[in-house]
Parts: sequence; C-alpha cells; structure tokens
Amino acid sequence: MVQLRPRASRAPVSAEAMVDEGQPASEEEAEHGLLLGQPSSGAAAEPLEEDEEGDEESDEAPEELTFASAQAEAREEERRVRETVRRDKTLLKEKRKRREELFIEQKKRKLLPDTILEKLTTKNEDCGKGNDSKKVKVQKVQSVSQNKSYLAVRLKDQDLRDARQQAAQAFIHNSLYGPGTNRTTVNKFLSLANKRLPVKRAAVQFLNNAWGIQKKQNAKRFKRRWMVRKMKTKK
Amino acid sequence: MGEFKVHRVRFFNYVPSAIRCVAYNNQSNRLAVSRTDGTVEIYNLSANYFQEKFFPGHESRATEALCWAEGQRLFSAGLNGEIIEYDLQALNIKYAMDAFGGPIWSMAASPSGSQLLVGCEDGSVKLFQITPDKIQFERNFDRQKSRILSLSWRPSGTHIAAGSIDYISVFDVKSGSTVHKMIVDRQYMGVSKRKCIVWGVAFLSDGTVISVDSAGKVQFWDSATGTLVKSHLIANADVQSIAVANQEDSFVVGTAEGTVFHFQLVPVTSNSGEKQWVRTKPFQHHTHDVRTVAHSPTSLISGGTDTHLVIRPLMEKVEVKNYDAALRKITFPHRRLISCSRKRQLLLFQFAHHLELWRLGSTVATGKNGDTLPLSKNADHLLYLKTKGPENIICSCISPCGSWIAYSTASRFFLYRLNYEHDNLSLKRVSKMPAFLRSALQILFSEDSTKLFVASNQGALHIFQLSGGSFKHLHAFQPQSGTVEAMCLLAVSADGNWLAASGTSAGVHVYNVKQLKLHCTVPAYNFPVTAMAVAPNTNNLVIAYSDQQVFEYSIPDKHYTDWSRTVQKHGFHHLWLQRDTPITHISFHPKRPMHILLHDAYMFCIIDKSLPLPNDKTLFYNPFPPTNESDVVQRRTAHAFKISKIYKPLLFMDLLDERTLVAVERPLDDIIAQLPPPIKKKKFGT
Repeated sequence: MVQLRPRASRAPVSAEAMVDEGQPASEEEAEHGLLLGQPSSGAAAEPLEEDEEGDEESDEAPEELTFASAQAEAREEERRVRETVRRDKTLLKEKRKRREELFIEQKKRKLLPDTILEKLTTKNEDCGKGNDSKKVKVQKVQSVSQNKSYLAVRLKDQDLRDARQQAAQAFIHNSLYGPGTNRTTVNKFLSLANKRLPVKRAAVQFLNNAWGIQKKQNAKRFKRRWMVRKMKTKK
Repeated sequence: MGEFKVHRVRFFNYVPSAIRCVAYNNQSNRLAVSRTDGTVEIYNLSANYFQEKFFPGHESRATEALCWAEGQRLFSAGLNGEIIEYDLQALNIKYAMDAFGGPIWSMAASPSGSQLLVGCEDGSVKLFQITPDKIQFERNFDRQKSRILSLSWRPSGTHIAAGSIDYISVFDVKSGSTVHKMIVDRQYMGVSKRKCIVWGVAFLSDGTVISVDSAGKVQFWDSATGTLVKSHLIANADVQSIAVANQEDSFVVGTAEGTVFHFQLVPVTSNSGEKQWVRTKPFQHHTHDVRTVAHSPTSLISGGTDTHLVIRPLMEKVEVKNYDAALRKITFPHRRLISCSRKRQLLLFQFAHHLELWRLGSTVATGKNGDTLPLSKNADHLLYLKTKGPENIICSCISPCGSWIAYSTASRFFLYRLNYEHDNLSLKRVSKMPAFLRSALQILFSEDSTKLFVASNQGALHIFQLSGGSFKHLHAFQPQSGTVEAMCLLAVSADGNWLAASGTSAGVHVYNVKQLKLHCTVPAYNFPVTAMAVAPNTNNLVIAYSDQQVFEYSIPDKHYTDWSRTVQKHGFHHLWLQRDTPITHISFHPKRPMHILLHDAYMFCIIDKSLPLPNDKTLFYNPFPPTNESDVVQRRTAHAFKISKIYKPLLFMDLLDERTLVAVERPLDDIIAQLPPPIKKKKFGT
C-alpha cells in the first residue's frame, strides 16, 4: 500500500503566502507570480517534488527579483543569442571560403600551365586581328608546346557553319526519307520487279559477306585439319 | 583469231553518285550536271552527248543549285553557304563567295543574265550583280519566315516567285517587297499533317506561276491577284522539279516515283484561240526520285537519285527521224577509272576518295569455247589507299611494272612506290613534290616505267624521270596558245619515243620524247577525242572520236595511214555509228600488228585491218564463231569488225598477254542494290 502524504492544505497556504507577501512592484513580478501561480493551481502531482524542498523553506519568502537583475538577465540572454548567431555566420563564411578555394584549385589543375596560356594569348592577338572575314575556314594557331603533341584551333571558326549545314542536310533527309514518306527497301523493290517479269523469278536476297568472317575462317581451318586426320587414319 | 582466256572481273564496286542539278545552256548546247558528291560535269550535247569536262568534287560541297549566266559563266550554290564560279577554260574553281545567309537552297539567274538571285536558309532572298570578274552583293529582299527552296524570275525581270514551306511569295524586284503570299494546301493523300514543301516554281511571262510541291500537285497561280487558278494532282509522292521551255508552250516535271510528266499548252478546241495546259506524256525512265529536269528546245532532260542522265528528244520537235531522236541514257562514266599493270596482273581501281589495288586470280584448268574455268587462286585485294583531305581523286595510274602508283586531287599530287617481297606488299610515299605540280588532269607511265608523264591543269605537260626510289623533273611542254580545253588524254608509244596529247582545240599534239620537242600535230576534228593509243611496232596513233569515228595516223610519216583513208572513204557501218557510248580504251596485240582492240560500255571489238570493210548491207554483228558453217557464209560475213557483246556493261577491257584478256564488268543491278530506297509503288497482282 502506498502511503500518501497529507497535502490538501499545501496549495492554498502557498497561494495565500504569495498574496500576503506584498503587492507586486512591477509587472514582471506579477507575471512571475501569475506564472508561478498557474501551475500550482493546476496540477497536483508537480508540487510533490518541490514539496520536499519546499518543506524546509516553506516558511521562507521567495526570492526577491529586482528590475535591474531581471534586466541584466534579459540582456545577458540577448547577448548570448547574438553571440551564437555571429558564431554561426562566421562558421558558414569559413566553410564557403574553403569550398571556393577548393574549386579554384581544381580549376587550376584542369587548365594548361600558365606559361603556355600566356604564349597562346599573345600569338592570338598577333594573327587574329588581320583576317576578320569569315572566309578563313580554320584559324590554326602555331603549336607552342615543346613536345608538339597538340594543335590549338579556334573552334568558333568552324562550329556554326557545320552545325547549319548539318541541320540543312537533316531537313532534306527528313523530308525525303523521314517518317511519313512512303519508301520501300531496295530488296523489296527488286523482288517486286522479279515478280512482275514475264518469266517470274524468286525474290532478291542480299547476303552479308562480312558477317562471321572469323567463324568461317575457323571452320575452313578445322575442315582442312579434319580431312588431313581422316586421310592419315585411313592410311 | 585465236582463243583467249578472259578474266571476268566483277569486284569493282563502282557506284556513281546521284545527280542533283542539271542546267542547260542554249547558246552552246551544253549541259552542266552536278552530283551529290560535288562533281560538276559538262556534257556537249551536239558532240554525241559526250562528257567534255568535269570539275572534281569536294566533301563539304553539297550543291543544291546550278545555273548558267551570260557569257557562258557557270555558277553553283550549296549547303555550305557559298556561291562558286567555275572556270571552264582552266577547269578549276575561280572563286567561292560566301553569301552569309546560311545554307543556300536555290539560285536563279536573271533573264538578262547580269544578276543572280539566291535563296537561303534563313528566309532571305539576296540579289547579286554579276561583274566581269566577280559577283557583288547588291541587296536583300524582304525576309521570309522559312527557308526559300525554289526561285524563279519572270521573263521580263520585274517579278520573282519564291517557293518556301507551305507558301509561295511573289516579290517585286525594284522595291524588294512581297507583293503576294500564296498559301499552298497541305493535303497529302487525305492527311494534312506533313508540311507542304514547294520544291519548284516557274514564272511565265503572262503572270502565271506554276508550283510543284511535296503533296504531288502541280498548281497554277495568278500572280496579279495571288489566287489559285488550277490544280493537278499527278502523283502519290513528291513532285520535285520543274523546267519550262523557252517558248513557254511546254514544261516538264519530275516526280519522286521516277516518272517525268510533260505538260503542253494546247488549244481547247481545234480552231479556238484559247489555250490550256494539259498533261500530255508520262515517261518512266527512272526508278528513283527525279530530282532535276531541264527543257532544251528539242528534248527533255532528267536526272535523279538513280544516277542515270536521261535525254529524251521530243518527237514533234525533231525534224529528221533518225538515230538522233532516240532516247539516250548515260549511266557509265565516259573516261577510264581503271588502270592495269600487265606484267604483274594488277588492276588499280579509282574511287572518289580511295584507290584499290587487286591482283587477278589464276586458274590451271583448260576448256573449250564458252566454258567457265574454276579459279585455283582467288583474286587478291592487295591495297586500300585512302586519300588525305576532302577532295575527290581526279585521275590515277599504275605503272606497267606495278611498282609505282600516282594519283592527283584538285590541289595535290601523290606518288607512291610499291615493293613486292614474297607475297608482301609495302608502300612508300615519295614526298617533296615540286611546287608547280599541283593538280593533274591525266597521268601516264611509260612502258618501261622509267618516265612519268603528267598533264597538269595549267596546260603544261611535264615529264619526270623515275629511278629507284626518286624522281626528277626532266622537261615541261608549255601549251601552244595559252588556253586549255576539254579532257586531256595522253598516249605513249611502246618504245618510249613518242608522246601524244589531246585536249587543245588545235588537234592532237605528238611530242618527241627523246629530243623533247613537238613532232607534229594531227589535224583538228570538230568532235572531242575519247580514246587514243600508239601501236607497238608501227607507231601508228589510233584515235577514237566521240562521233564513233576511228582514225589511224602514222607518227613517223606524219600523215594518215592508207587504211585510215580507206575507212574514211568507205564510211563506217551505220550500226557502228549508232552506238550510244564512247570508246574509252584502245589496245593492241603484241604479235599481231593488224589487230586493234577497242571497247565501249556495251561491246568490245577487234578490228582486223587485213579483212575487207563492211558496207551497210552486211551483217554487222557476227554470230558466235561459226566454225562449222560453210565457206561461203563465212566469206560473206567476214569483215574487219569482230564484235562481241558477251561481256557488258564493260568498264574496262585490256589485253594482258597474248592469250589473256581482262574484262571489268559492272552489272546495273549491283549499282541499284546500293542506292537509297525508292518510293513504294503498288502494283496489281503483288
């Protein structure tokens, strides 16, 4: 059996003590008081733990909270909040800076070494100015590296013209042989001609001689070897 | 006659490229034909339809339009956005001018011949002024929304019709603004999903605009009001080309099914003045799309994806009903693409971008007349030599000993040395070509393979000495007058003394190689030379002209031989003169000086100079050797021309040694098997 302690008299006594203590000097204390008041009036289980401490100090007056201290506390709180925000910001900034540096590093690794780039730009300026006309098909820049393993070419000289020509050829192909046109294969065409001849012939069959060349060669070799073996055993 | 073993070669995978544009020039009766690989060929229609000149192709040049301007100037425009003028004298490209409108789809010269109109991809129509040495941009017309696919000038030069996608616009030339925009109906077999592409327009002088489109319609529009007058639905597929005659009483259209239709302006009733356009004749000479047509005063010309050039003379325009009124179909090239090395039995095949070297197979079997002997060793593909760069190969040659290969493109000349060691072949390029040797029209090696003769396109004839692995320039014969015309052909004698070169209009020049000077000139003939060769012992130059005449000229004596005079007096048999294709190769038998072996695409012939000549009444084509017939019949039918039509179509025929012939055939079916797909046609009963 659980032994319950008597507590019916607790709650009203504390409330009265609060009220008796004095009129709240500022709204803050009143708020505090009210806040303190509400839970105590509501739940009965909570004051169970407090009651043990409260038992010793039940006759003592609650802490006195002056305006100045509360203000200081609030300011402290604000300062702490501001501190955390600033720290967060700086942390984020650092992270971004580190990432930026990483990217620059990677890009640098991808590009050609500085010396070669320098040489290229100077060369380009020299010979790029003269021929503005679009007649220049490919503007080849002299290979500047020591081992001459690559050649720098201006892409903008050839890209646009080729792309347009490709598009034009695709248009023609589409309109003549694309979907919607009524085309037949050469095989069917020739077979139809065979069928309509006065002396009817069979349909045309196209052979792919390039299919399975290795297989055919292997088969031929095997046949030769088999024949030789057969001849030997016969003998 | 003797028996020959014939190597029948069918592994030359020759596929000509499709014909894209055709342009007819009235003053000179010449036809310019451009193909899809960029080659432009000029045919002389009055010289028995012989291909006189050609400009080699280029990979990036996709010509879409070709036209003649005044003064015999030829222009072409293509998908690379450039207008190219061709120099017909020097056989090269004068200049290429970028039109800055993107790919060019159509081009038309003004009726006066002094202005050029170009329709581009971005919808702009540009006007160029033709100056004596170049063309100059004048102005742009109003820009349209979609690409301009066809153009036509009004004969008076005041208006222009431009066909685009789904509409046709009529421009006023002076102001450059659109007068009318006529919308074309999209209906195609009852469905209107696909855009209607106006492939061709033609403007007549009375203001009628004729348009042909991809829905298979031919429509007549009135340009004054911008309305449709009449519409003919003639095909189930695209109608791709149109050409109007100069007198404007007939025009011809070509469809994608291969049919060519002839429309004529006929009076409504027999004595009324009112006329109307009626579709009169269909011609089915093509199997694939007919991409281009032209109308000359007497004939209809068509060409398309099936690579034939068909010239159909109109019967009502032809005055005399003789062989001139027959249909001409040009399929095979008029020049030699194959060279042969007799000693090693090698054949060099020339393609557009590569060369192939094959060794002929051999057989040990024997048989009687007409047998097919089994091969003991198959033909060997020895070499596949790809050319560098985008240009096509103009000419190529292999030396008779088989150790040198030379070929030329439009800007470079290549010479290779071959080494044979125990069935292995190694190739080495001779670098450091002289700077003056850029492009050659014809290359020939001497019989002992020590000299190389090159006819360059500047008109000069160069002789090089070949020895070991090196070569040295010996001499250059400069042209006489300063102009070079037509195809240049070379022939060298077996002993290496004489070199004959045709090509200038002054006749065939014969040079003395040992003394390096001009020996004599064969008198000029009004037809171009198609083949030439020098006989081994007698040093007689045999020349075949495009009107099928064969002459024999004695070089040491500097006059025509007696046999040649007899033949000219007697005249050739009418069946000989009525052959379609020109003679492309002449060769001789080493032991029989009385025999001349020549061939064209459909027959090969051995002329026996000791036998009598046939007159028009004799049976020309002898039956297969009549060994068991009576003597009388043999005497009656024996004449000098022994013709065999067993091997056809022949691209090349030569005598390898005394008892062996090689015949390179190209069956037409093999070419058709490699063409793009044709339109599906529904036939009854299939």
